[in-house]
Amino acid sequence: MASVEIYRYISLDEKNIPLDPEGFLVDMEDWSPEVAERLAEEEGILLSEEHWEVLRVLREFYARFEQAPAMRPLVKAVGQALGPDKGRSMHLMKLFPGSPAKVGARLAGLPKPTNCL
Amino acid sequence: MLLHTLNRSPLSPVLDQALAGMGPEDRLLLIEDGVLGALPAQQARYASVAGRVYALHEDLASRGLLGLCDPTVRVVDIEGFVALTEECERTVSWY
Amino acid sequence: MQDETRHGDLLVILRHAPHGSSWLKEGLDVALVAAAFDRRVTLLFMGEGITALLEGQQAGPLGQKGTAPTLAMLEMYDIDSLLVEKRGMESLGLSDEQFMLPVQGVDADRIAELLASHALVLNF
Repeated sequence: MASVEIYRYISLDEKNIPLDPEGFLVDMEDWSPEVAERLAEEEGILLSEEHWEVLRVLREFYARFEQAPAMRPLVKAVGQALGPDKGRSMHLMKLFPGSPAKVGARLAGLPKPTNCL
Repeated sequence: MLLHTLNRSPLSPVLDQALAGMGPEDRLLLIEDGVLGALPAQQARYASVAGRVYALHEDLASRGLLGLCDPTVRVVDIEGFVALTEECERTVSWY
Repeated sequence: MQDETRHGDLLVILRHAPHGSSWLKEGLDVALVAAAFDRRVTLLFMGEGITALLEGQQAGPLGQKGTAPTLAMLEMYDIDSLLVEKRGMESLGLSDEQFMLPVQGVDADRIAELLASHALVLNF
């Protein structure tokens, strides 16, 4: 379950969507591709197909294991789903600069990964 | 050589886990409810580590067990506990 | 396999059953954090902790998350050295065909060796 502390809102189609202090969705059910685009905007990211395929991997990971992955398992999951060329930290760093596991989880509407920096 | 601390009584299955984890030189320090294991009637449970069993003075005293310990069990106070942790490479706690 | 377990540097011992307390969950979390930081991790299931491996586990009655999805995830963290105390399996009447993951049985007299050969041992 995501953090319950509401820090701010983003508004989309006249709906206010609560975020926690680190910008993660308070309610995972609020997620939609439009929400992802808005959150990406805040990171200065324009979502391309290469981003979307990673976000799908993240959401599948969560559906299977009930946790957002740290960097190492994210790299592995992306490699398994999208091939070894994409299952590299460099590729993920390029798409989601800074901390791919954290930024990716945020845009995918998942809770913050618990076991990563 | 490792120091193993155990805070469960001899009636607990955790004792068997601790004993399984003990190497031939390792020491066992009984603390809290673990000090019930210092009673003479319980010594068969600790046969595999006889002579390497310690019990914490403070926990024996608070339970009125100080005078009731088996002579093979060595009673140590907190300072003795610290000394044991220094003698041993690492400490593993069983609870 | 035997060799790998000897050289893994962190040994996490899991001795508590799922749902009854948070010890199992905390032990698994520690293992995941260590693996995320490239530590080699070996898990040793003892006593009641062995029941964490059973197939068919679910969330708790109030919807509390179980540990089975986390166990399924271990592979993604490259934690594949899973050891089980044989004596504990026998006393619970369980066999490894009932487990959700492949495990290696360990005789009682090898457990002390495992503790001695890992640079770091965390007991949960």
